[in-house]
Amino acid sequence: MLVPMAKVRILGHKAQLDETLAALQDLEVLQIENAAESSSVPLPAMTLDAGRLGHRESARFLLARLDALLGILPPVEASTAVRFEVPSTEEVFLATLQSELDAAAPNIQQIAQTRDALNREQISLPRYQATLAKLLPLTPELADFEGYETVALLLDRRYGQVLELLDQVLKGLTQQDHVIVSAAVDSETIGALTVFPRAISDEVHDLLGRERVTQVRMPPELTGMSIGQALTHIEQRLVKIRQELAAANLALAELSARWRGRWMTAAERLRARLAQLEIISQLSETRYTFVLTGWVPERALSRVNAALQERVGDTVVVEKLQLTRAECKQAPVLLENPGPARPFELFIRILALPQSGTLDPTRLMALFMPLFFGMMLGDVAYGGLLIGVSYVAEHRFRHSPTVRDLSRFLALGGGWAIVFGFLYGEFLGTLGHAVGLHPLWKGREDPETLPSLLVMTIALGAAHVVLGLLLGVWQAWRQKARHELWERAGLLFGLVAIFLLVAVATSRLPRGMMTPALAALVIGLVLLARAQWPTGLLMGPVEMLSTVGNVLSYLRIAAIGLSSVYLAQVGNRMAGLMGNLWLGIIVAGLFHALNLALGAFSPTIHSLRLHYVEFFGKFYQDGGVPFSPFGHHGQSAP
Amino acid sequence: MDVGLLAIGAGIAVGITALGTGYAQGKIGSAGAGALAEKPELAGRIILLVAIPETMVILGFAVAAMILLILSGQG
Repeated sequence: MLVPMAKVRILGHKAQLDETLAALQDLEVLQIENAAESSSVPLPAMTLDAGRLGHRESARFLLARLDALLGILPPVEASTAVRFEVPSTEEVFLATLQSELDAAAPNIQQIAQTRDALNREQISLPRYQATLAKLLPLTPELADFEGYETVALLLDRRYGQVLELLDQVLKGLTQQDHVIVSAAVDSETIGALTVFPRAISDEVHDLLGRERVTQVRMPPELTGMSIGQALTHIEQRLVKIRQELAAANLALAELSARWRGRWMTAAERLRARLAQLEIISQLSETRYTFVLTGWVPERALSRVNAALQERVGDTVVVEKLQLTRAECKQAPVLLENPGPARPFELFIRILALPQSGTLDPTRLMALFMPLFFGMMLGDVAYGGLLIGVSYVAEHRFRHSPTVRDLSRFLALGGGWAIVFGFLYGEFLGTLGHAVGLHPLWKGREDPETLPSLLVMTIALGAAHVVLGLLLGVWQAWRQKARHELWERAGLLFGLVAIFLLVAVATSRLPRGMMTPALAALVIGLVLLARAQWPTGLLMGPVEMLSTVGNVLSYLRIAAIGLSSVYLAQVGNRMAGLMGNLWLGIIVAGLFHALNLALGAFSPTIHSLRLHYVEFFGKFYQDGGVPFSPFGHHGQSAP
Repeated sequence: MDVGLLAIGAGIAVGITALGTGYAQGKIGSAGAGALAEKPELAGRIILLVAIPETMVILGFAVAAMILLILSGQG
C-alpha cells in the first residue's frame, strides 16, 4: 500500500532555523518542498546570510581536505576508532578541525607520497630486472671502457638486419672503434649490446630512433653501472623497498588509529551541516521568520511535533495543510507492504512508482507472480533446486537488496513449482514417472492434456484481466474519473459478453443466454463509445478485441511450461541413448542445468510481462515521485 | 485431412509468428539497449516494450494448437 502523506508548513523565528533543521535531519521523515517551485507559498526564497555563506565555504573546503586524507588513511577497527568530541559552537568546531588538519596533514601526505613512490619503484624495477637478466649473458665479452657509452637493445627477430646496418654506420663514424654483441633472448627477441665512443652518442641515438629500435632505458640511479652491477643493485633495492614500504604502512596505520575515527565523525558532521545549508535555499522567509513546507507520512506527524517541541521549543509551529485533489496527486510515494510482499516492490520500482492516491498492486503481484511462475515451471526437482539456489544467493549476497528480493521471489516461485510439479507429476521432467511420481491432476507431456491446459490458462487469464478491470472501475469511481469509469466498465461488459457468446456457441450454455450476451455486448460498446466520443465509436470494438487478446496472452503459461517439460524429456531420452551410465548422467545433468537456467529466467520475464501489460494496463497509474526525506544519507562507518 | 499437412500448417502458424516476433524484438531490443545505456531507470519500460511482440507468437501457438486439436479431431 501507499503510505498516506500529509503536507505540513513549519514556521519559526530565524534564530531557531539551524536547530529546527538539525532536528528534522535527525528524524528523517520530512521531504522538504522547494518553495521556489511551489505556488502555495507566495514568499521570497530564503538566502544564506554572510555568516552561513562563510560556514558553507569553510565546511566544503575542510570536507574536501578530510576526504583526501581519509582516502589515504587505511581503515581501522570501529571499536578502536577515536570519536570526535563535538565542540559547543560551529566556529569552534571548524577552527579546531582546521588546526588539526594543518598540523597532521603535511606528515600524512609526505608519508603517502613516499609510499606511492616506493610502490611505483617496486613495480618498475622487476621489469628492468627481467630485461637485464636477458642481456646478462652478453656481457662477459665486454670490458669496462672509459669514455665509451653502452646501449642495450631489444629487437624483434624478423628485423635482425638492423644490427648489420648499425654496424656499418658505426664503422663509418668510429673507424672500427666500437663493439656490437648479440644473442637470442627468446624465440621472438634478439638482445644486443652496443659500445661506442661518447663523442658519437647523438648520431647513434638518432639512428636508433629513426629505425624504431627499442632501447632499454635505465633509471637514473643505474646509469653508469654494468649490467651485472645493475642487477645486484636492483635486488638490493627491492629488499630495501619492501622494508621501507612496511615502515610507511605502519606509520600510516598508527596515524589512522589516531585520526581516522575522529575525522570520520567530523566529516559526518560537516556533511550534515552542508546538507542543512544547501536545503535553506528551498525554504522561504519573511523578515523575521523562516517558512518550510514539506511532506511527511501521516503517522509520523506527531513525532515531528514532539521532536521540535523538545529540541527547539513551542515557538516553532507545525501546521498540517488542507490539500486539493491536484495537490494530493503531487505527494511523494512511499511503498509499505508486509514482509512476504516486500520483495515485489522491486518489480514496481523497475516499471515506475504508482501515482499518489492510486492503487499499489504489490500485494496482488506477490500473490499472482509466483503462481504464474510455478504453473510454468511445474517441476518438483526444479522447484526444490530453485529454493536451494535462492537460499544460497540470499545469504551470499545479503548486502544487495536487489539480489535478496529476487531470491525471495524465486523461492516463492520454486514453492509453487513444487506444488504444480505434484499436480503435473513432474520430477526432472518425466523422470518422476519412473520412480512412482504420478500426476495428481494431469501430466503435461500427454498430448491429450493440452486442451485442459489451454482452457485452464485462458480461465486464469480471464480472471486476472477481469480483476484488473474491476480494480480499474473501483479506482475510477474513487477518483470520480467518468471517462475511465465508462471505458473500463465497457470493457468489462464486452469481455463478459464475449465469454457468454463463446459458451453459447460451444453449447456449454443454453441458447437462451444469447440475448443477454448480445445485450451486454451492446452496453459495453455504447459505454466505450461514450468514454471517447466520437473516436470511441471506432476504437471501442478494437479495444474490446485487444482485451480478448490480453486474455489469450495467458496461453504463454501453457506454452512456456510445455517447452520446459519437453526439453527435460529430450534430456532424459538422450541420456538413455548414451549407453553408458556416467555419460548418460553427464548429458542429463547438462540438459537439466540448461532447463533450470531457462526455467528461472523465462517464467520470470513472462510473469512480469503478464502483469505489466495485461494486468496493470487495466488500472495502474504510474508517475509517482519517490519519497526522499531530508536526513543523513550516504554516511559510512570508519 | 492428411495429418502431415496439418502438422505443416501448425508449424507455419508458429514459425511465421515467431519470425515476426523475433524481428520486432530485435529492433526494439537494440533501441532499448541504447536507451538503457543512457537511462538505466527505463529498464522496466524497456522489458515491457521488448515483451509486447511476444503476443504474436503466443497467438500463433494458439492457432497451431487449434489446428492440431480441432481439425485433426474432425479429420
